[in-house]
Amino acid sequence: MADRKAELERKKARLEQMRRERQEKVRQKASPAEGGDDTKSKPQKDLRSETDDLLRNLGIPEASTVQTVVTKSPSGGEEVVHTVKTSSRSKVKLSLCKVNETSIAPREQVSYSKETQTLNAEPVDKDGSSQQGSPRFGSPKFSHPNLEWDDEFFDDDDDDEVLVYDDPQRSDDEADTDSMDQGVDSLPSGMPQVKMVDPAKTAEDLVKKEEPPVVRELTEEEKELILNDPEFNTFISKTSRIMERALAENYDILIDYSGGDGENKEDDLLAGERLKLNRTFYDERWSRHRTVTSLDWSIQHPELLVASYNVNEDAPHDPDGIALIWNNKFKKTTPEYVFHCQSALMSTCFAKFHPNLVVGGTYSGQIVLWDNRVNKRTPIQRTPLSAAAHTHPVYCVNVVGTQNAHNLISVSTDGKMCSWSLDMLSQPQDSMELQHKQSKAVAVTSFCFLSGDVNNFVVGAEDCTVYTACRHGSKAGINEAFDGHQGPITAIDAHSVPGQIDFSPYFLTSSFDWTIKLWSIKDQKYIHSFEDNSDYVYGVEWSPIHPALFASVDGNGRLDLWHLNNETEVPTASTVIDGNVALNTCRWHQSGHHISVGDDMGKIHIYDVGEHLANPKSGEWSKFVHTIQELKQHAAEREDDSNLALR
Amino acid sequence: MSEVEETLKRIQSHRGVQGTIVVNSEGIPIRTTLDNSTTVQYAGLIHQLAQKARSTVRELDPQNDLTFLRIRSKKNEIMCAPGNEYILLVIQTPDAS
Repeated sequence: MADRKAELERKKARLEQMRRERQEKVRQKASPAEGGDDTKSKPQKDLRSETDDLLRNLGIPEASTVQTVVTKSPSGGEEVVHTVKTSSRSKVKLSLCKVNETSIAPREQVSYSKETQTLNAEPVDKDGSSQQGSPRFGSPKFSHPNLEWDDEFFDDDDDDEVLVYDDPQRSDDEADTDSMDQGVDSLPSGMPQVKMVDPAKTAEDLVKKEEPPVVRELTEEEKELILNDPEFNTFISKTSRIMERALAENYDILIDYSGGDGENKEDDLLAGERLKLNRTFYDERWSRHRTVTSLDWSIQHPELLVASYNVNEDAPHDPDGIALIWNNKFKKTTPEYVFHCQSALMSTCFAKFHPNLVVGGTYSGQIVLWDNRVNKRTPIQRTPLSAAAHTHPVYCVNVVGTQNAHNLISVSTDGKMCSWSLDMLSQPQDSMELQHKQSKAVAVTSFCFLSGDVNNFVVGAEDCTVYTACRHGSKAGINEAFDGHQGPITAIDAHSVPGQIDFSPYFLTSSFDWTIKLWSIKDQKYIHSFEDNSDYVYGVEWSPIHPALFASVDGNGRLDLWHLNNETEVPTASTVIDGNVALNTCRWHQSGHHISVGDDMGKIHIYDVGEHLANPKSGEWSKFVHTIQELKQHAAEREDDSNLALR
Repeated sequence: MSEVEETLKRIQSHRGVQGTIVVNSEGIPIRTTLDNSTTVQYAGLIHQLAQKARSTVRELDPQNDLTFLRIRSKKNEIMCAPGNEYILLVIQTPDAS
């Protein structure tokens, strides 16, 4: 205790001493300054004393004391005091000014929740008024429209969302935009708040709540009331008009031209849609009880079909041979033209390059020619019944060649083949005996020229053999014989579909042995035998547009369509003509979409082939090549098996 | 009234039409050619769909309005002609010919 006191006293003494020393120094400084600059120092000193007095009055300690304090604790901040002190030397002009208190609202941090931010979709009520839905959340602009500068203070008091003045006495004049106090204070929650955004409520959710109460039946009276309402009538008349237009439009917008969906569709469609009966041609007067012996479509007028008819045993006074030209375009049930001739017609065809001429081959061997420009029903030209021409039934007539160089070729069952010029039927231009191996005449029942060829053709004969032959050249006449059928050949047809791959060596034959056989002229043995029929097969023909499709008719009244790329064992489409008739002949329309078949009761049936079946897809040709290769392979295997069996 | 019946009958006899329904603004069928359960089902569902379609069109452009609604499905086609207070529905099987 005593030490402390002693220390304190010592420190006090020291301080006093330091003070005195400094004062002396100051005086020393002041005195030479005084001596040097009396004029300046004096006012300075006076000034100083004045300021000191002033400050003392105000209660602020003297500058000197301040200085010591300053020197004791020199810090950056106290430098300011220094400057204050120095600036206080010069006269400072001070004036009163009003202090502006401004408080700036803090910058609003708008934050978004990660959920959907859409505003509520307002579902429209039945009466059209929008629901007063839940308050809109979202940006503060919507939540507090109060914060608009201009509108804020001048709104009507009617609105709910207007500001509520805390001080009702305040008039609008005083509404000073400078002072934002009221704006902030009037908000009920203080500072504007940003609330979380609720997920959007779609109309679906709201409707679900409404569902249960609906579904009430209208009473009969109410229905009557509505029906009598004129507005209802106008509604019906207006919308029914639109609806009928829409109903009438039947385009298939989903049609796929690439054919990719074709496979799927085929499964769905019934077989009936692949072959559909279009119409039947039958004339009571002329085609009754007559077998249709041949059919041919016109090239210049695709709707015209010529049919030749056999003799009518029930009407001996009627002409034996009838040819009728039917029109497929119109609904009339009578033929366009009726032609007679004296002998039963076995075959007929349109003269390809003469649209008005119709050729017929008769049972007597005569070839007749009709012209529809002339108003006669009898032929305008006939071939002579002499040994120069034919003396046996002519089953095959055909016009081959080009527009400028064409001939009518006819073959009779005695093996005689004649070529005629259509201008002059009095004598053949050329005739040839078709003989096979030294004078064995071939009884030709059907023949066909190979596609695009005017020289080479194939014939089917009664002796169950198929022959290839040539008209001109060194090998004129029969060349090769193909065995295979066990019955007389009824029809033969060569492939004629144009395409990238040429299938012209292939031809089909049908015969009494219930089979159809596929051959190539390069092979002596048939490639494949189609054995699905159970009666004589009377006709077979390739489709003119599809490389792997052909049609056949048999004595059971069956019309078969074989699609070789699909199935080679059974026909792809098949239909039986009702009425217990036998189909004698068939002929494809040149479009490939219709088939005409003639039966033994004098009726001609026109069938429509489904487009997906009739129209070939782009890959059919190559597929057919594979099919044929497969068939050839099977044939080879079969051959080997039979060889093995024989041993 | 008979004109209305005649018109509806004419529409019904159109090729491929399966049924015709007239629905009012609440989705209650007024006239129908189908059986009751099917009618109620169609009326309720299509009515909602038509409302939704209409509100969609209106929202995209308030001056626009729905005039015709056509739903094409694998098996048939539903055509819906809305009026101000009623909706005419026709169900048709389109033939591919």
